Parts: sequence; C-alpha cells; structure tokens
Amino acid sequence: MIPILGLVAGVLLGLLVDPTVPLWLQPYLPIAVVAALDAVFGGLRARLDGIFDAKVFVISFVSNVVVAALIVFLGDQLGVGAQLSTAVVVVLGIRIFGNAAAIRRHVFRA
Amino acid sequence: MTAQPPGGGQRSLGASLLDDVLAETLDPAYAQAAEARTATDPATAAPRWRGAVLVALTMVVAGVLAAVTYDQAAARVQGRQEIRATLVDDIRAGSDASDELATELEQLRAEVGRARDELLASSATGQRALDELARAEAGAAAVPVSGPGLLVTLANAGSDADDDPVGGATEADVRGRVRDGDLQLVVNALWAAGAEAISINGQRLGPTSAIRFAGEAVLVDFRPVSNPYEISAIGDPETLRSGFLASPEVAALALVEESFGLGFDFGREDDLRLPAASTPELRWARPVPDEPRTPPTDPATGD
Repeated sequence: MIPILGLVAGVLLGLLVDPTVPLWLQPYLPIAVVAALDAVFGGLRARLDGIFDAKVFVISFVSNVVVAALIVFLGDQLGVGAQLSTAVVVVLGIRIFGNAAAIRRHVFRA
Repeated sequence: MTAQPPGGGQRSLGASLLDDVLAETLDPAYAQAAEARTATDPATAAPRWRGAVLVALTMVVAGVLAAVTYDQAAARVQGRQEIRATLVDDIRAGSDASDELATELEQLRAEVGRARDELLASSATGQRALDELARAEAGAAAVPVSGPGLLVTLANAGSDADDDPVGGATEADVRGRVRDGDLQLVVNALWAAGAEAISINGQRLGPTSAIRFAGEAVLVDFRPVSNPYEISAIGDPETLRSGFLASPEVAALALVEESFGLGFDFGREDDLRLPAASTPELRWARPVPDEPRTPPTDPATGD
C-alpha cells in the first residue's frame, strides 16, 4: 500500500512542481522511465512471488535507470543512439511483458 | 521457435541470448536475497520499516520521473502545434496583405490614370500627349482590347486509340507535340501580317513577353499555357488572313502538321476580347530633372 501511495505522491509532485529538466538530460528521460517501469514491475512480481527484498528493489531501480540512460548516452556519443535506444526498449519491453504475465498469473490464477 | 537441437548440441549465441531475455524476466538477485534471508537469523536483519521507507522513496522518484517525462512530451507536442498554427496564420496574413496591396495598386493606378487624363485633356499639348500615350499603351498591351480578328488553334497530335493514358506504357511521340518554336512561328507570322494585339490562351502578349519551353510545358510570360493553344489576333481579318497564309513559316508549319498530325486550324472571329498584359515590372526610372521651373512671372510686377 505504501509504495502505491508513494507512486501517486511522486506523480502529483512531478505534475504540480513541474521541475525544469536541464536540456542535456531531456533525451534520456523516456528511456529512464521505461527502465524504472521495468524495475517496478519486477518488484511487484517479486512481492507476489513472496521473495521481495527492499534493498534489491532499490538497487535494481537505480541501476536500471542509470544504466539505461548511460547506454543511450554512449550510443549518442558513438552515433548509434537511436539504435541503442531501440535495443534498450526492446529488452526492457520484453522483461516488462514477462513480469506482467507473471503478475497476471498470480492475480487471476490464469 | 525452432526445435531444440537433439542431444543438447550447441545453440547459436543469438538464440541463447533470446532465451535468456525471455526466460529471466525477474532479476535473479531477488531469489538470492530470499535465500540469504532464510539462512540468516531474522533478529540480525535490518528492520522492516527501513525497507518500506526506501521502497516508498523509490516509488516517489519513479512517479516524479514519469510525470516529468509526460510533461516534457506533452509540452513538445503542444509547442509544435503552436508553431505550426502560428506559421499558418502568418502565411494567411501575408497573402491577405499582398491581395490587399494588389487591389490598392489597381485602384491607385486607375486613379492616377483618371487624374492624368483629366489634366491632359484640358490643353492642346496635353491632348497630343494623351493620344501618344494611348498609342503607347495599346502598343505595350497595357489596356484590354476587343474587335474582329483571327483565331489560330494549334494542338498536339491526337493520341492513338490503343494508347494507355494512365499507364503511360507508350510514350507519346514528342514530335507530335506543339513546341515553343511553333507558337513563336505563328505569333511572328501574325505580327507580320499586321495583327494589333495577340494573346495565347487568354494570356496577352506584351512587347517583352517571351514564349519558352520548360520541361513539358510551354510558358508564356513565365506562366504555363496548355494544349490546345488558341492564339487570338486582333486586326483586319482579311489582311490578317492573306498575310498569314502568304508567310513561308506558316507553309512550313502546315507541312509539319501534315506529317506529324498536329492540330492546326484557323478562322476569323468577329468579336475577340483580349485582356491587358500583366503589368510590366518597373525596372528603370529617372527623377524629373530639376530644371528651373520659372514661375509664371507676372509682367506687371516683374522688376
């Protein structure tokens, strides 16, 4: 319950405060959100599996976001930014789908 | 999915990579942490509330991240739309202003013409200048004219019945097309025969008009005219016709017409109406010389 409240509070905070993001950071925001989504879905699934661990969740979240943004940044420097973003999105997308399917099995028993 | 190679043979790197990605959707660290937890004494583990706070904080960060990204994307779309709308408005305003200016120019021209005519009509010298001006204007195709004359029609060779107009499989014979040279020939023959004013497809020819060929289209004064080409010439129909028929160029054109199937036709018309040519651009002007405009001195008060 508390994590969901935290998520809602974060969304409201972001919408209300509307912080200005530095220009150099803006291209990496979407990929960071996809990575965060992956970590959140993974945490939710682990919780339903009964093996949730706060430390693992926090570390996986932070590292996911940072690594995803870093890969895209590296790709931008090498001139393959668009291709690498696609790769990151594909891999994270597959994982999100897999975790969502596992969550579905837990929730609906199907 | 391909079948697993029998006997646990080597799988390709790509396939095993895909397998990993598809099978391991959950971070294996969770399982390891769970194992470690069961192994250690629950009393020495970190208190539960610390973990809950950390998770909640992380979720707050996730929420802020998502909200900010959404805001950015929405702002970008909105900005694009705004710019687009502004540009469209700018274009509309610009073309409106140019239309307005054109109408104003038209009005002012008419006004100037009227004022000039009024002023000049009052004196004999002015009358002479006015006559001269009228002649010059007629010569420069600056005024619309109407009257009897000759209508010459030139057309591309008709396509064969089995030509496919859509597919364009058989390219139309380029020799059967009217070219700029053909039009120039006809126009020059008409001028030579004594035409006073000529237009092609309603496009009046002025003294500086050019008939050119650009790609597939014939341009008259840089405006495209299309097949069939109707050349109207005002003048005495009889002299025009005899002069036109007598010119050797027309005879040559008639020959071309016969061999390539060009449409070539002419006949007299009793009431042709030709518009004024497009206003020539003002390219050269000179200020009125500052000649000593001696005021009309009154002999009675003169020193």
